[in-house]
Amino acid sequence: MSLSEPSISRRPDGAAFVIALVLAAIAGVIIWQTSNMRVPPIQARVGPTVFPYVIAAGLILLSIGTAVSALRGAFPAREPVRYGPILWIAGGLVAQMLLIGWAGFAVGTAVLFAFVAKGFGRGPLWMTLPIGFVLAFSIWFVFSRGLQLSLPMGPIERLVP
Amino acid sequence: MNKLFLAALMTGALVVPGFAADYTIMAPAAPGGGWDQTARAMQEALQAEGISGNVQVTNVPGAGGTIGLAQFVNQYSGNPEALIVGGYVMVGAILTNASPVSLAEVTPIARLTGESDVIVVPAASELQTVDDLVAMLKADPGSVSWAGGSAGGVDHIAAGLFAKTVGVDPTKVNYIAYSGGGEALAAVLGGQVTVGISGLGEFDAQIQSGDLRALASTGAERLEGSDIPTLSESGVDLVVENWRMVAAAPGLSDEEKAAIDADIEKLVTSATWQGILETNGWQDMYLGGEAFDAQLAADITATEAILKDIGLVQ
Amino acid sequence: MDTFGLLADGLLAALQAQNLLYALIGVTLGTAVGVLPGIGPALTVALLLPVTYRLDPTGSLIMFAGIYYGGMYGGSTTSILLNTPGESASIVTALEGNKMARKGRGGPALATAAIGSFVAGLIATLALAFVAPWVVKAALAFGPADYFALMVLAFVTVSAAFGDSALRGVTALFIGLGLGVIGIDLQTGQARLAFGIPDLLDGIEVTTLAVALFAIGETLAIASSRTHLKEEVLAVKGSVWMTLDDWKRSWPAWLRGTFIGFPIGAMPAGGAEIGTFFSYAAERKLSRHPEEFGQGAIEGVAGPEAANNASAAGTLVPLLTLGLPTSATAAIMLAGFQQFGLQPGPLLFANNAPLVWSLVASLLVANFMLLVLNLPLIGLWVKLLTIPKPWLYAGILTFATLGTLGANGAMSGRLGPIPFSFELLILLAFGFLGFGLRRFGYPIAPVVIGLILGPLSEQQLRRALAISQGDPSVLIASPIAITLYVIAAMAVLIPLYFRLRGKGAVLQQMASDED
Repeated sequence: MSLSEPSISRRPDGAAFVIALVLAAIAGVIIWQTSNMRVPPIQARVGPTVFPYVIAAGLILLSIGTAVSALRGAFPAREPVRYGPILWIAGGLVAQMLLIGWAGFAVGTAVLFAFVAKGFGRGPLWMTLPIGFVLAFSIWFVFSRGLQLSLPMGPIERLVP
Repeated sequence: MNKLFLAALMTGALVVPGFAADYTIMAPAAPGGGWDQTARAMQEALQAEGISGNVQVTNVPGAGGTIGLAQFVNQYSGNPEALIVGGYVMVGAILTNASPVSLAEVTPIARLTGESDVIVVPAASELQTVDDLVAMLKADPGSVSWAGGSAGGVDHIAAGLFAKTVGVDPTKVNYIAYSGGGEALAAVLGGQVTVGISGLGEFDAQIQSGDLRALASTGAERLEGSDIPTLSESGVDLVVENWRMVAAAPGLSDEEKAAIDADIEKLVTSATWQGILETNGWQDMYLGGEAFDAQLAADITATEAILKDIGLVQ
Repeated sequence: MDTFGLLADGLLAALQAQNLLYALIGVTLGTAVGVLPGIGPALTVALLLPVTYRLDPTGSLIMFAGIYYGGMYGGSTTSILLNTPGESASIVTALEGNKMARKGRGGPALATAAIGSFVAGLIATLALAFVAPWVVKAALAFGPADYFALMVLAFVTVSAAFGDSALRGVTALFIGLGLGVIGIDLQTGQARLAFGIPDLLDGIEVTTLAVALFAIGETLAIASSRTHLKEEVLAVKGSVWMTLDDWKRSWPAWLRGTFIGFPIGAMPAGGAEIGTFFSYAAERKLSRHPEEFGQGAIEGVAGPEAANNASAAGTLVPLLTLGLPTSATAAIMLAGFQQFGLQPGPLLFANNAPLVWSLVASLLVANFMLLVLNLPLIGLWVKLLTIPKPWLYAGILTFATLGTLGANGAMSGRLGPIPFSFELLILLAFGFLGFGLRRFGYPIAPVVIGLILGPLSEQQLRRALAISQGDPSVLIASPIAITLYVIAAMAVLIPLYFRLRGKGAVLQQMASDED
């Protein structure tokens, strides 16, 4: 796995091995959770545990297949990731999630809007935050008042009768 | 900008108490379902009759209403303006989902509407009466497949209770769960299952057109003008009714509860509410005060027993 | 009176100024909400129901039908232009549609979607008027074993959406299947893979997963990549309109999509998405340009878009004739009928014939209106692509979270004293999943398809075996099931046979000889 340039070589692919491990881990979790399930007596036939086990078995096979494919380096080339934008966008989503419950839809969504714009290189925040707020508040008004959709309200939304 | 924001916040804090007599009704379901319709009908009637100035409906869907119930208890404890709509389905869901919050934690106000289940067979079925069904069930319980709503719901409970009442092991009931009444109706019409059991509203049109035959209803008494016999008339001593109720937040004073009781009583006797019941075909099952508390307690005990019998709850 | 006379009367009623206005409001609103990811026609009609208490029943129902058709149409716009499907029924459209849009062919893609929707809506609405009783009889004959066979066929055809690696395609499908297990098992009421979290008891919402994988995954992928960020999107290359070749390739796909979508929509457990899967698979198999699939083949937009509109009309068949809702929107429309004291079902045509026929007629009108409204707007829609990326993606995420919150606004999570929406947390988590899948070359659509098909096939199989009391022979007991299995086997074996015989040469020969 090389971060500096797209890996187009047919070398074993480290990241792909991680995927194989994750698939096997998911299969493990499914088997573990399903084996702990209490099956009611009515379902003596094909019960609620059969499908999970089948899916887990499939995932194990796929995990092996992925490992083989990783050895051969058969995954498509990847270009390096720029982590800055990802942090801004994920940060925006987390901030919105934690804000809307008490500060309301408009404030939370304004932060999301501004952070995403920042992630794409557009700022500064003191300019994008108000733009986001006006947009989010208008959306809140249209959907909550016009369409009776229940969207989270904060102090500002409560000002609107 | 910051100052403006702060000013807005402060004004907000000042203005909030001004909305004193306004209810917030939580429908613990997505828009469109029975509980949501009930909540929005209440909103309509409370406003039209001037009982409350401004009523808001909030939807909190999920897990048979238990997610909404938990949020209601957490968020509105001690708030005399918060109401939640619920129903019999919640009683079962609290048990099967092992919900951390139960109905004991809210303040029940009144039962509002209700609907009984009906047991139907396709017109071509050889089953003519409840007795035929009992005979078939006793001969081989597994050979009778019952189509109804989700496992552990009111339809499943009714089927389990039916078997138990006529002396058949309820764990042997071959219950086929369908998501929503429409799919169950299709299964009965297509002759895929032996009997269908669900709310009267799901099957009514097909009963009237003669495509389905109603063997019995699970109600306490016959509907006005209906020729569907009740189970008790057919010799099976059983009543299952799927009701909807309204409850208030926990931790209210007696005066606060009395005020809500009075408002709801005004609501159910109002012309607007009665009109809504009429157009929606909802049965008025208003029951308030201590009578409702007793009924609720009895339903919870009976439901817990049958869910254990069917094997859904330990 | 015969059907034609009744329909003519209905048309006269639908063409009254007031009803035209309702239809116009309906299609406009429907298109608008269809464009928004997460907020679909079902939610809109549900929210509008109480508002229409006092309105005229015919007008309100016409408006609801307009919303339904408009929503089915609107969902394709964002799917094609932004690779963010607004509805689960337009996921397949994104596969080829977005590829076309990136090549500057967004105009023809939108046009074939619009005209295909119109053609499908027209044929399907006429079918609704003339053959509804027979279609319904056939649909009711489908038992659980037959549905299971249909799902097996669907699984076989899913491979059409796998992209360039079968391993990665199957892996994506299995991730979806695994997600489908989460939640309360319908048959036993037991929680599976819910880890004691109440919010997971209802399972993963298809629209939440689709919005997360497509909209958020795409945003992360583009923002984090230098080449994508700099990539100039061509709004229009060549004509905005369809070329003669586009027309030639589209019309058979529209017709096939219609004939696949309509009956599947009419089935009690069909659903609009499944028709689009079948249509896409069929187009890919029958196309004379199979090499273009995955690169922006116009048939891959035309077929599925026709199929999803045809299935919208299809769902009205059991709704009107049996009172049987087969989709979320139909269930809410049923509530709408009941609100006006009308009971859809066998007696509706007898008791309320004028209303039914003006509804059917207004579907034709709404359909025509959608075409007239949308064709001129295509030039405007493709301008969406010229919005600078920061604003475009900030807006997409704003609307994506709005849709998610609108469908489920529960603040059920808690971080210390701060309440938060669990649904948004899921959106974020699957957004990263979508990003990871894109990065390693996994296709996205099979994940969503797995989430849809997994629970359906499991429930049908278990129902079939429960009714037969465990006898597996019931699975191949009906002629319908056998036919479906034979088709599925042929779909797998015939290409395999040709590949083994002539390493594909024969198949290519056939494809080029066909003309």
